[in-house]
Amino acid sequence: MNTSTSTTWASKKPGRSPGERLVEAILFATSLVSVLTTAAVIVVLFSETFQFFLRVPLTEFLFAPEWTPLFAEPRYGIGALLAGTFLFTAIGLVIAIPLGLLTAAYLAEYAPHEQSIRVKGIMELLEGVPTVVFGYFALLFLTPILQNLIPGLNLFNPISAGLVLGFAILPYISNVASDAMMAVPRSLREAAYALGATKFEVVTKVVFPAAVSGIVAAIILATSRAVGETMIAAIAAGQRPILTLDPRETIATMTSYIVQAATGDQPAGSLASRALFSVGATLFLLTLGFNILAQRIVERYRERYE
Amino acid sequence: MQRGLIQDSSQNPQKQQRDRINRVFARAVVVPTVIALALIAVLLLDTLYDTVSVQVVEVTETSGKSFALGQALTADQVIRLELAAQGKSEQEIAAFMSDPDEMRIFRLRNRVELMWATQDGPLRWVVSSLDDTRIKNLSLIEGLRQWNELKQSLNENQQLRLNPWLDYSFLTRDPSRNPISAGLRVALFGTIWLLTMTLLISIPIGVGTAIYLEEYAPKNRLTRFIEVNLRNLAGVPSIVFGLLGLAVFVRGMQLGPTLMAAALTMALLIMPTISIAAREALRSVPDSMRLAAYALGATKWQMISKVVLPATIPGVATGVILAAARAIGEAAPLLMVGAAAYVAFIPRGPLSEYTVLPVQIYLWISANLSEFANTAAAGIVVLLLTLGGLYALAFWVRRKYRVEW
Repeated sequence: MNTSTSTTWASKKPGRSPGERLVEAILFATSLVSVLTTAAVIVVLFSETFQFFLRVPLTEFLFAPEWTPLFAEPRYGIGALLAGTFLFTAIGLVIAIPLGLLTAAYLAEYAPHEQSIRVKGIMELLEGVPTVVFGYFALLFLTPILQNLIPGLNLFNPISAGLVLGFAILPYISNVASDAMMAVPRSLREAAYALGATKFEVVTKVVFPAAVSGIVAAIILATSRAVGETMIAAIAAGQRPILTLDPRETIATMTSYIVQAATGDQPAGSLASRALFSVGATLFLLTLGFNILAQRIVERYRERYE
Repeated sequence: MQRGLIQDSSQNPQKQQRDRINRVFARAVVVPTVIALALIAVLLLDTLYDTVSVQVVEVTETSGKSFALGQALTADQVIRLELAAQGKSEQEIAAFMSDPDEMRIFRLRNRVELMWATQDGPLRWVVSSLDDTRIKNLSLIEGLRQWNELKQSLNENQQLRLNPWLDYSFLTRDPSRNPISAGLRVALFGTIWLLTMTLLISIPIGVGTAIYLEEYAPKNRLTRFIEVNLRNLAGVPSIVFGLLGLAVFVRGMQLGPTLMAAALTMALLIMPTISIAAREALRSVPDSMRLAAYALGATKWQMISKVVLPATIPGVATGVILAAARAIGEAAPLLMVGAAAYVAFIPRGPLSEYTVLPVQIYLWISANLSEFANTAAAGIVVLLLTLGGLYALAFWVRRKYRVEW
């Protein structure tokens, strides 16, 4: 042994040798890919949208009653697409919120361990169904049935699309909401039982209010998913942007319009193509806003109980 | 006589009411799960049901004959019988069948298939041609109910048959504007190509990000920013990734509607999922393992690559399989980056045009022809079976290689 031993050892200290530093640099670079992706999304969407607004006034975008970029006299009213998105999402939430919250209550308060694993498995199954399959089911199974029940229902309509959407987003509500309910301290429940409350009263008057911020976050998260859901809307809700709140009409959501526009042929740089990106930017801002809001709420509520 | 302080609550009507609500609610919480399960079951059964239809077709001279299973066992034997029925001699048949070009053309123009039922009886070989015109395409129940009437009304050029859309030849046929000859071959190859390329790009980036964040990243604002960004990226709608791919890969890098552009888009889409799974796997490795490696004189990278990473393989593999399952079912972003175009050939390389299973299914659903609903259903069954296989694999990996610390 000679003196070089100590220098070898020193060079092997974590993060010191050139090789070690290279590895760290490479790993750091990979972690920047996600940041670059976000940056690219923002640059792409907003540069095209900026170009769009150089040609189309903001008032037209916000207040025009129609969205018809490919017509001879094009109109660019995002309201028509927002109305369609709203109908589709609202019908989905009407299904998903009660079913999701009941499932969350079952998972958090009622189900024995092995039963809750099974229920979670079913929810995972629901989450794993490709949305194009849900779309097929809505259009070819549900719509004919609903057309017999609801007079005047169009072949493409937000009702059957929204009903199926409700099941597609149900797992998001049940997962996040049951986590929130489980995080409620046991002592609160025990206190309520000691006062003679029934289990129903404990769940609805103690656990539910205590977990309400997490539950709200779950609903917001599911809303974000619903707004961004594409294939169910494109297949079953339709691709005809009109400003209506009649759920029997064929409508277009922001996402289904994007699909329709992209499967048609629009040269890069044309106003119609820029309009497509302005819809994308609106969709991105809306879902990002929902996601950040949900995260904020979850974080604040974690501080309270941990 | 006055009652004691503690009343018998079962006599109290208010308490009875509360108990009743309590019991009803305890039942009600199970209802959504039952509904969800029923929905999945109905969805599966309906799809399977739609893979079969009853058809009446107007046949051409060269098609429409049916042969009993006893007469022929393979498609080649059926072709031989068909040629004989056309009045060809033994020699002509032998010459025809040994000529690969003739056979290829015959197979392109005709479809030889074992049908479940025809007007001649059950399980018959049927030769159908692209030139056949279909008069009716009825659902199974509707068709069976009208079977006898339909059979009565046939003229000599018409054929009645129960057509199973999902069979082996469906997987091997090329796409077609004619549903009778449309198949999944191109979409299957496209899916395999796209998935492989996507994973090759996204696994190194996703796992690299996870290793950096878990093992190297200092606790500072940049790290926090990367973490928040990763979480937000996972919540961005997939169609927005499609717009990104359209602007950057298809137009900006001028890759066009190719596999490469699609794979880059999909890789960015599933990268957060892989990364989040890998971080969880890394976190589950106890620090004692890391310290033990250091104590043996390992450098940081030796510790990570030789001790920590091998222990995370099951967790990472499960995450990757689940991300792959998501990628396989995803249609929206691919419609943006060019999978919508009609593609007649299997991909030859990363710069080929392509189509994939869910996009093919979407195109069939959008096609305004009732028989494409049948091919779409058959495609969905194939897609769901593939996904089922992947989920089973993930479950098996998780179970078999689970490490208990």
